Parts: sequence; structure tokens; C-alpha cells
Amino acid sequence: MSNQRLLFQQLFDDNSKKVYHLCYGYTGDGDSANDLMQETFIKVWQNLDKFRNQSQLSTWIYRIAVNTCLSYLRTAKRRATDELNDNIIENYSEEPSEKQEQIALLYKSIAQLEENERIIITMVLDEVPYPEIAEVAGISEGNLRVKIHRIKHKLTEIYNRNERV
Amino acid sequence: MKGFDDIQQLWQRQEPESSVSFETILKRVSGSKTAIAKKLFWQSVAIGVAVVVLLWMCVTVEFSTWTTYLALAIMIGCIGYYFVNQLRDYRKISKSHELLSKPQDYIDYLKTFKQRRNRFNTRNYAIYETCVAAAFAFYAIEMYFVLPFWTFIGFILFIVFWFLICHFIFMKQYINNENTRIQEMIDNLERIKSQFEEH
Repeated sequence: MSNQRLLFQQLFDDNSKKVYHLCYGYTGDGDSANDLMQETFIKVWQNLDKFRNQSQLSTWIYRIAVNTCLSYLRTAKRRATDELNDNIIENYSEEPSEKQEQIALLYKSIAQLEENERIIITMVLDEVPYPEIAEVAGISEGNLRVKIHRIKHKLTEIYNRNERV
Repeated sequence: MKGFDDIQQLWQRQEPESSVSFETILKRVSGSKTAIAKKLFWQSVAIGVAVVVLLWMCVTVEFSTWTTYLALAIMIGCIGYYFVNQLRDYRKISKSHELLSKPQDYIDYLKTFKQRRNRFNTRNYAIYETCVAAAFAFYAIEMYFVLPFWTFIGFILFIVFWFLICHFIFMKQYINNENTRIQEMIDNLERIKSQFEEH
């Protein structure tokens, strides 16, 4: 197995779960999330030789994932949030346990956030370090902290409101 | 009533995992390369065939006027020029490393690309169109001596009609579609960028 392939496999193993979460949080749809994740890693593979250590590899991969998600908007934006929410419920509808229902509710709540908030919060939930999130988002760490505080509050509120319904 | 910490714990306990394996990605990597290569290959074949046919006509068909040879040479030049430009832009936008840039860089790249394409589709296309029209005009000189008069008139009318259709309908649609597609990407990226930046 070539070195590049080994490195790629390592990157895939280390980052695929988080990238998938980011894509899922962004689209609210498992199939789209799978497609976006595939696209992200294809770009990673195709550009691996261009990575110049200007940031961490994981930050670089996140940047590709975010741009891939944003580009996805051009075809998927027309879908209403309600439709996304229905998808989320459907994806979890096979004999949903209480935990699955709660997770579906969480994704439904994330879908109600703004696009940038969805991207940031999925990284926060996955415990990506703040400097890394700031670099991916292209904003200062100070600005990011303010945003995170607000998004956490907003998500908690939406989640609890959805739970009561 | 849950707090954010509970939500985070819930998130970390989630099971929906991607169904995409490493092998699937590798398969798609080679698949996507093949798809692009195939598209480029067939485009090149089509252009190559057109050029070969034109060259073949130059060599084997004995035209009676030198203007027809000039027309063929202009056509070959136009086809080559258009193909090389289309190919260059296609490869440029297909290269995904631009996607790795930060939002503003990516937006700037798309804006420049849009301007370039606009220039190519308007100013450069007009030159291309004029050259092709000149080629047909040169060819028409031979047709004038060969074809019966009304057939010749019919030929000229058909060519003029075809040019008008291409210029006013097909090209406008093409430019419009291309602009809309790129502008939509720019708008989306600018919107998300402003969302990231606002305090």
C-alpha cells in the first residue's frame, strides 16, 4: 500500500465520523450527509499533495467539508426546512428507541439554526478545539466564543421547546 | 428540561454512522477521475474528428476557388481556439483545490472566473462568431458558382437564420445559465460569510 494511501486511510479513520456529523447536522439527511462526506474525502485525496502544513490536517479537512456543504446549497437550498425535519424523523423511524428519538429531536433542533450556526455547533458538540473552529470559520477566536455562547443557548432553547411539543 | 451538557452527551452517544467505507471512497476517487477523463476524451474525439474531416476535405476535394480553402483554414482555427478555451476553463473549475481556500478567497476566485467566462462568452465569442461567419462567406463564393441560384439563396438564408438562432437564443441561454450557476454559488458563499462575520 502506498504511503499516500496509508495516510489517507489514517485521515479517513480519524476524521470521517466528525465530518459525517458536520454534514448530517448541516443537511439533516443521512443520504446527503453520506454524499457530502464522500465528496469531502475525494477532495482530500485529490489535494493531499497540496497540503503544506499551514494548518492542522483536521482543520484543513473541516475547511473542505464546510466548503463542500456550502456548495451543496446550490442544489439543495430549495428544500424547505420542514422537509429536512421530516427526513430526520424518517431516518430514525425504524423502531425508534427513546435515545434515537432524542437524537432525532436534536438534529431537528440543529436544522432550525442558521447555516453557520449548524456548522459551528456540530464542531462544538464533537469537541473540536476552539482555535480550530475559528480557523475553519475564518473568524477570530474572541468572536467565535461569543457566537458559541449564543448558539449553545439557542440550541438548548430550541431543543427543550421541541421536546415539550 | 435539558442543559447544553446533556445535549452534548446525547450527541456523543449517537449511533447514526456513515455507511460509507474507505474502500467506497477510493472506488469513487478512481470513478470520478474516469468520468472527467471520459468526458474530455469524447470532447477531444469529436473536435479531432471535425478537424480531420475539414483537413480531409482540404486535401481530397478539389475546390475551384482559393476562398474555400481559406474558409476551411478559418474554421479549423475557430474550432481549435474554442475547444482549447473551453477545455482550459473546464479543467480550471474542475480543479478542486480552490475549494480549499477560505471563504473570501473562494468568492474572489469565483468572481474572477465569472468575469473571465463573461468576457469569453461575449467579446471572444463575438470574434469567434465573426470568423465563422467570414468562413461561411468565403465558402459561399464557391457555392455561388456551383449551386443553382435559388438553392444558393436558400443556403445563405439557412446559414443566416442559424447564426441568428445561435446568437440570440442559444448563446443567451448558455450565458444566462452559466452566470446564474456561478452567481448562485457566490451568493451562497457571501451569505454564509456574512453570517460568520456578524457579531
